Amino acid sequence: MIRVVSTNITSPLGFTTEENYLAVKSGKSSLAVREHPWGIPERVCASLFTDAQWKALSVEGMTGFESLAVRSIREALQRTDMDVSSPRVVLIISSTKGNIEIMADGGEYVSLAESARRIASATGVTTSPVVVCNACISGASAQLLAQRLLEAGRYDKAVVCGADCVGKFVVSGFSSLKALSQEPCRPFDIDRYGLNLGEAAATVIFSREEDGAGAAWALCGGSVRNDAYHISSPSKTAEGCSRAIRAAMEDGERPALVSVHGTATLYNDQMESVALCSTGMENVPAMALKGVYGHTLGAAGILETILSMCSADDGEALPSRGFSSLGVSGRISISGEAQPLRGSSFLKIISGFGGCNAALRFSKSTGGSEGKKELPSVTTAHRVNITQDGVIVDGETLAMQQRGEAMLTELYRSCVGDYPKFHKMDVLSKLAFISSELLLKAEGKTPQETEERAVILFNASSSIVADKLFLSTIEDGNYYPSPSHFVYTLPNISTGEIAIRNGYHGETSFYILPEKSGRQMDDITECAFADGSVRSVICGWIDCPDEEHFESEMCIKTR
Amino acid sequence: MEELVEELKKEIIDVLNLEEVTPDDIDPAAPLFGEGLGLDSIDALELIVLLEKKYGIRLATPSDGKAIFKSVNTIAEYVQKNRKK
Repeated sequence: MIRVVSTNITSPLGFTTEENYLAVKSGKSSLAVREHPWGIPERVCASLFTDAQWKALSVEGMTGFESLAVRSIREALQRTDMDVSSPRVVLIISSTKGNIEIMADGGEYVSLAESARRIASATGVTTSPVVVCNACISGASAQLLAQRLLEAGRYDKAVVCGADCVGKFVVSGFSSLKALSQEPCRPFDIDRYGLNLGEAAATVIFSREEDGAGAAWALCGGSVRNDAYHISSPSKTAEGCSRAIRAAMEDGERPALVSVHGTATLYNDQMESVALCSTGMENVPAMALKGVYGHTLGAAGILETILSMCSADDGEALPSRGFSSLGVSGRISISGEAQPLRGSSFLKIISGFGGCNAALRFSKSTGGSEGKKELPSVTTAHRVNITQDGVIVDGETLAMQQRGEAMLTELYRSCVGDYPKFHKMDVLSKLAFISSELLLKAEGKTPQETEERAVILFNASSSIVADKLFLSTIEDGNYYPSPSHFVYTLPNISTGEIAIRNGYHGETSFYILPEKSGRQMDDITECAFADGSVRSVICGWIDCPDEEHFESEMCIKTR
Repeated sequence: MEELVEELKKEIIDVLNLEEVTPDDIDPAAPLFGEGLGLDSIDALELIVLLEKKYGIRLATPSDGKAIFKSVNTIAEYVQKNRKK
């Protein structure tokens, strides 16, 4: 169990947690309709910082995304007396697209890996940072990673910050998926037509030590599970979300509140209602906040967790703005008005592209620090190493005719052959997919649907090749945003492709590191075994910095 | 019309990356979705982009796509009636 020692929300509604909570409670929303912003042919409803707010947030020498994260982290740190420079403090950043809007604006590429280094340096963190890039569930995944690293005794404190900016890139992408509503969104409502995007940062600082007296919020349980169904559509049976809730609720009492994802798309909200009913949560007051802030992407899992803490402390669930009559099949307890809460615990659920779903269970704890949790010992079997120049499986070099991406297709034809979806993947997913197929062939087991296998991948370049491809479809004068390019602009889609192919319902996670570090990868991968269901993990490095260069170094770790 | 059907087959193979399919493999009267080519929801969205980019047709409501994308023949009929380029 790890305890929350400080929080911050920096959004268009305010720059502190308190300002945000009071604004939402008084019924405010930062969603506004704009006609053709960024030269986009549609009207867009989004939650954006004003120019004056950007001016106030801006940190010299840093990008907008970096400034946003640094401001939020600094404000959260101010409320603690911790020594952030200690080697026992880790910085975990959660973001889907980082600085991408700079590129959409014609500016230079600044990678998330580079930004993480700069944010660490600007906030005084001295250890190597980690970026969680797990689509919409990144904010929940980042908190779960903090819990695991702290409980395993790797660090004593974790600064977890989620942030994303909104502009032409993400708006065009979600628009190409026909997922946007041009009016303020209406989560779970019968008249819901899609989501709105929003920009924000949110920070939560966790500690495994006893910090002061009194009760504090503690992250007591959590899990990530995959639908193994589709890279962008949620499972109709809520496969992954229900599994995530069950795993997070193991040994836990019924929560007083469930903080839902509630994007206001037809499929997400329907899926969540099925998950809540199938896990006995239909009578627990539900709270959906996207009608206030829109979908704040990498910040969402953290921002909504913080507001859930405030709500439970205050004894009432915030109104689910935009909701008026139920438009999903599961009869969940959601309301456009505040709902009284009994008890100090809540469940945060969230789902994202790549088929991933997360659930986190928080409750108020008066307990002090606990001893560190021992992780099981892990063995490594089978290794695959692929670069643009060749392939090595368990030490043996395969004879290949082709080089580069054509070699991946050659490998597909010679070793797989029965999965034409391969040709639709971007090069990063092709690389991950082929590497996993070679590993599984070496392992020699008959594939079967299972929750016991996780897929955890790392890189430094995120999805830059797919990002550039998508950018080429949203140029001024030639604006035809491609949905199939956009979905691959999330690197964790590669983990989803492997889960779908093999029926893996276990955790799928994607992390971006400042550089390839075996120690950092081992720490993160091995602490995933803290999830009792995980028996083995397909894991490793998979990077594709440009169209000509790529590298995978993957293996299977087993408890 | 026959020409348009052939053109559409090639375009569909191209934009949907159907590497292992040739134009002759596609029966213009057969259902595009649900069986055969193994197309999914993202493919349907990509076909909407194709209509706009190649033929200047903007679908007012994406759900209209269901009837239009039944088969290559139905797409061809729709394009012939509504094309702006």
